[in-house]
Amino acid sequence: MTDGPLIVQSDKTLLLEVDHAAADECRKAIAPFAELERAPEHVHTYRITPLALWNARAAGHDAEQVVDALIGHSRYPVPHALLVDIAETMARYGRLRLEKDPVNGLVLTSTDRAVLEEVLRSKKIQPLLGERLGADSVAVHASERGTLKQALLKLGWPAEDLAGYVDGEHHAIELDQDGWTLRPYQREAADSFWYGGSGVVVLPCGAGKTIVGAAAMAHAQATTLILVTNTVSAHQWKQELIKRTSLTEDEIGEYTGAKKEIRPVTIATYQVMTTRRQGVYRHLELFDARDWGLVIYDEVHLLPAPIFRMTADLQARRRVGLTATLVREDGREGDVFSLIGPKRYDSPWKEMENQGWIAPADCVEVRVTLTDDERLTYAMAESEERYRFCATTPSKTRVTEALVKRHLGDQVLVIGQYIDQLDELAEHLNAPVIKGETRVRERERLYQAFRDKEIQVLVVSKVANFSIDLPEASVAIQVSGTFGSRQEEAQRLGRVLRPKTGGGGARFYSVVSRDTVDQDFAAHRQRFLAEQGYAYQIIDADDVLAGE
Amino acid sequence: MSAEFADWLRGRNDDELRALVTARPELVTPVPAHLPGLAARATTPSATGRALDRLDRFTLAILETLVLLPSPVSMGELRALAARALAEPGKTGFQGTLSKTVDRLRTLALAYGPDNALAPAPGVREALDAPAGFGPPATEVFRHYPPERLGELIDDIVGGDGDDGGSGSKEGLAELLSEPSLVARLVAEVSPQARAALDELAWGPATGRVPNARREVRVDTARSPIEELLARGLLGATGAETVALPREVAVHLRGGRVHRDLCPSPPELRGTERDQSLADRTAAGQAFTFVRTVEELCERWSLDAPGVLRAGGLAVRDLKRVAQLLELPEWSAALVMEVAHAAGLVVANGNVDGEWLPTPAYDGWRIKATEDRWAVLAESWLTMDRVPGLVGERDDRDRLLNVLTPELRRAAAPEVRGTTLGVLAAGARGLAPDVASVRERLAWEQPRRRGPYRDQLLAFTLREAEQLGMTGLGTLSAHGRALAAGDFTLAAKVLAPLLPEPVDHVLLQADLTAVAPGPLTSELRRWLALSADVESTGGATVYRFGEGSVRRALDAGQSADELLVMLARHSTTPVPQPLHYLVTDVARRHGRIKVGTASAYVRCDDPALLDQVMADKRAIPLRMRRLAPTVIASRSSRAALIDGLRSMGYSPVAESLDGDVIVTQLDARRTEVPPLARPAVLVSGLDREVVTAAVRALRAGDAAHQARRSPIDAPGGQVPRSPATATITALQDAIRQGARVWIGYLDSQGHATSRILEPARMEGGYLTAYDETRAAVHRFALHRITGVSDVN
Repeated sequence: MTDGPLIVQSDKTLLLEVDHAAADECRKAIAPFAELERAPEHVHTYRITPLALWNARAAGHDAEQVVDALIGHSRYPVPHALLVDIAETMARYGRLRLEKDPVNGLVLTSTDRAVLEEVLRSKKIQPLLGERLGADSVAVHASERGTLKQALLKLGWPAEDLAGYVDGEHHAIELDQDGWTLRPYQREAADSFWYGGSGVVVLPCGAGKTIVGAAAMAHAQATTLILVTNTVSAHQWKQELIKRTSLTEDEIGEYTGAKKEIRPVTIATYQVMTTRRQGVYRHLELFDARDWGLVIYDEVHLLPAPIFRMTADLQARRRVGLTATLVREDGREGDVFSLIGPKRYDSPWKEMENQGWIAPADCVEVRVTLTDDERLTYAMAESEERYRFCATTPSKTRVTEALVKRHLGDQVLVIGQYIDQLDELAEHLNAPVIKGETRVRERERLYQAFRDKEIQVLVVSKVANFSIDLPEASVAIQVSGTFGSRQEEAQRLGRVLRPKTGGGGARFYSVVSRDTVDQDFAAHRQRFLAEQGYAYQIIDADDVLAGE
Repeated sequence: MSAEFADWLRGRNDDELRALVTARPELVTPVPAHLPGLAARATTPSATGRALDRLDRFTLAILETLVLLPSPVSMGELRALAARALAEPGKTGFQGTLSKTVDRLRTLALAYGPDNALAPAPGVREALDAPAGFGPPATEVFRHYPPERLGELIDDIVGGDGDDGGSGSKEGLAELLSEPSLVARLVAEVSPQARAALDELAWGPATGRVPNARREVRVDTARSPIEELLARGLLGATGAETVALPREVAVHLRGGRVHRDLCPSPPELRGTERDQSLADRTAAGQAFTFVRTVEELCERWSLDAPGVLRAGGLAVRDLKRVAQLLELPEWSAALVMEVAHAAGLVVANGNVDGEWLPTPAYDGWRIKATEDRWAVLAESWLTMDRVPGLVGERDDRDRLLNVLTPELRRAAAPEVRGTTLGVLAAGARGLAPDVASVRERLAWEQPRRRGPYRDQLLAFTLREAEQLGMTGLGTLSAHGRALAAGDFTLAAKVLAPLLPEPVDHVLLQADLTAVAPGPLTSELRRWLALSADVESTGGATVYRFGEGSVRRALDAGQSADELLVMLARHSTTPVPQPLHYLVTDVARRHGRIKVGTASAYVRCDDPALLDQVMADKRAIPLRMRRLAPTVIASRSSRAALIDGLRSMGYSPVAESLDGDVIVTQLDARRTEVPPLARPAVLVSGLDREVVTAAVRALRAGDAAHQARRSPIDAPGGQVPRSPATATITALQDAIRQGARVWIGYLDSQGHATSRILEPARMEGGYLTAYDETRAAVHRFALHRITGVSDVN
């Protein structure tokens, strides 16, 4: 028996004891083929999934290495069945290959005829393929490259895409490192994406994903299409690109509800791309408007389904996805793998925090005890109304006020789900509110005022969940949310994670009604962050109200 | 012939006879009366067949060679013929190997006679249907040919000068075909196609099918290749549609050899070299997992037992559920269930709607050390006669084979498992042999026991051995090696240090999980199983605390403080705040509503009246409890309560109310049906004492048989009486010492008789002994022996 830091579980999770002397070395050895699932304080959990193993294969690791890493670091004997399973799963990747043939164009070839026969029999695969070219190869309709990869992954025979990429229209883009430099992990992320072909970069909020995007563009030296979540985010990308690269304002176009500019670098929103008139996507031509050399997907975990379908047709172009988490509430991680690409870079949040790249944060759950009247109303509420009721109780408003008072002098964001609750809070706190109906110009004015510390408390609805840059928000108070959404919680915490000029920490409050579904949802929402090592401290609202 | 064989057998010494019955235990079950009886039994087709089945390829080849030579055979003749087929003829030491092999054949009583006059035992020739793939001799092949046809054939063979030779005999033809130069000429005459057909038949099987085999063809009229051969007697028709290659012709075609190549030593195992210690560790990991999986299965079935199908066994749906629960493929889940069943840990209870439930034996098994638990499972697997690998296949009648059904029994299974492990153990340490080479090796060791069915069993065995953790990375582990040698205690001892050691602490984390970095001490494990939910298992166990689990612990009588103290004591790090909060928060709400059982209640709007009732001494038997100023609950029935109150002078009225709370409780259930008796399997053969006793009985019987001893008179006087236990002990002693005894015996009519016996063996309540007073071997029911005493 060795004294390794790793314990292999029969459900293919790996437990890594972080305080162990050899933990770092072990982490490096297992990171390529295991997904970090939870990173609480003592024992980190990694999971070996087929996707993770195929990611590892795509990155050039073989089963022997994986088995050696497990056996070498494991404290206890590793069950043989698991090793066999790993070897078998890994062997499935690359049996099928998509290649470019000078004569026949795109072809699917196989080193294992039985596998090819198996997939050819599948009803889902047949319509995507052309004629049989030989015993081991079959033609593929160029337009079905993405769909085919998706379908093959579902069958458990992921294809290795070696068909390459088009270079796209050349466009000179340089990073303009004046007064700032690319952080080591940003350079690593951009490099590993570029040499991997296409794929996803996972970095926490506030870690500078935009800059990774810019570095990827500098690698590509080509016209670029950037897809972002909303208009405000599009503006911010534009400003960031002007500041960080050699691109000028004239070279960057915005393709949003308001403007329809197509320039060498074009930033479009998901919303405009998925707008339909009479069942037709009206802006699809944007994808063909230029010979794009690179497509950047911001916030991949939010990528709407229609974009997946459109992406299936973009397989000949280089794609990079940027996200804080691969967790998708809809479970479509497999589509991200086959259509955008394998994960190319990942770094645990807490590690980034220890290195000082993101602000340290304290997470506090404040439990509000409902008044007797409120409890009675809650007990009688219809089940679909329950969450709304307990998430917006007047008791919460009182506690929120107390919290804001406690952080007088800090920049405070109050985030919630229900507009009437937000309006009420805004009134009590005497603060402006940003919601869906707020005009873009007004929004930007308020953001600027908040940045300039002219206003210190800002109440925002979920429109501000993504990609708004509020550098000096150091306190966030969440009063309600989209039920149990884990990624929303992560996004909201991300609002306060950008490093502070004073170097101070951030604080994230989640106000929760005790003994209600609100509490259950909160527990679910916190799973992701707790797994990332953010420990929620739980305090009673009475303590807050008492001014402790 | 047979008498000769029996005499030879009689001439063997006791050691040799013991070796015989050890190697062929079926000869002494039951013990034959005398040596001619033994000889007769040994030469029956079935006994001979079983003995032949045990021969390795080389020994079998030597026996075949012996059979082909006309008896008696000298050692020199045998060596000369066998040596021709040696793969490396120049190799020295063949003589020694050969004489050892012949000795072995003698030991097995498959061949007999001295070195200068060896012969196959009677029955062997018949049992070896087509020795070495040869067809029948010419006299046999042409047996049915009419003399005229034989005459024509002989004419054609000797180069017919057109002279009408008339009739011929099959012996004459056989003589001609034994002439090498003549056969060589005939073979040279035929067309290449006919030559190819001959080569096809040369190494056997020596028979083929052709339409109209009995056609009459002459050399001049032969048109097809087959006709060319038939016309020259190189093939003979043995039936309307079958032809056979006469043995004499085959000998020529084989160049005088009997076997194509003869290798006195078994083929080496080939495969991948592995680090043995790594293989041991991997196998140990798997062994640990397997034991844990069996436990998980039994725990689940304790609470949620699946039903027994009417035909026995478990429904496919339940198999799928188990596979899902254990996160195993179905074949592996089936293995887990079958092994648990074979080990007597789960059985079907005997009810009409039976269920599969753990047995009391499971409780005993569960508390053993992991290595001992593994040894129990491994032994059960090795000796069980069921083949879990067949689950999901269909039987002859196209019925699906379910898990735990009797249809999974295959008599050969334990033997295949045993031999396969033996082959693996024979390989070098650290070798992971490939399946093909194991199959080759088995084919060499048991050439007569081959076939797709055996190959399938072999494949199952290798797969299952890996799953049970006997092999790791395809290599036999150290504990697997001990197991192959039949030493289960040693296997457990070797395995123990490789298994994770129990730990007595956990790591508590802020995400409400507790990680036990190894198997926990049983006390801590039980406690954690109560107060947290298991999230993942393996080398370590991950528990998650939740509202439900903490409530469960509180329900079981723990207080919040106790929980926190327990957590603090067994955690190496401080208890995280969220966990602390969770425990106190759940405890805060726990028990605010209290629920109890009452059979009846007393309600009264006047508290003073109820005070009065409670204060009354006569109310004590009514088992009342004041719940509120105006309510009393009682555990007596409503009728009893009313009677009681009336007798105390009150006048209560009954109040109708329904809605009793029924508390259901999940109970871990056990069945009382004893585990199925495992069939006795002769993997290791008879034990020494039985062998000695059997030989002694044989000798005694034979002596009697030889001497045709006349019955002696039973001694007169008092028939000895002794207590039953003393009787059995005395008889056992007599068997061990080969002594004679005097017994009193109640015969089947109930008459008390007196006998002088030479006891041979005792089993199943019967004593087998030579009865001197009757001059025959008899079986005596032990309960009818009234007493025993020594004979002087």
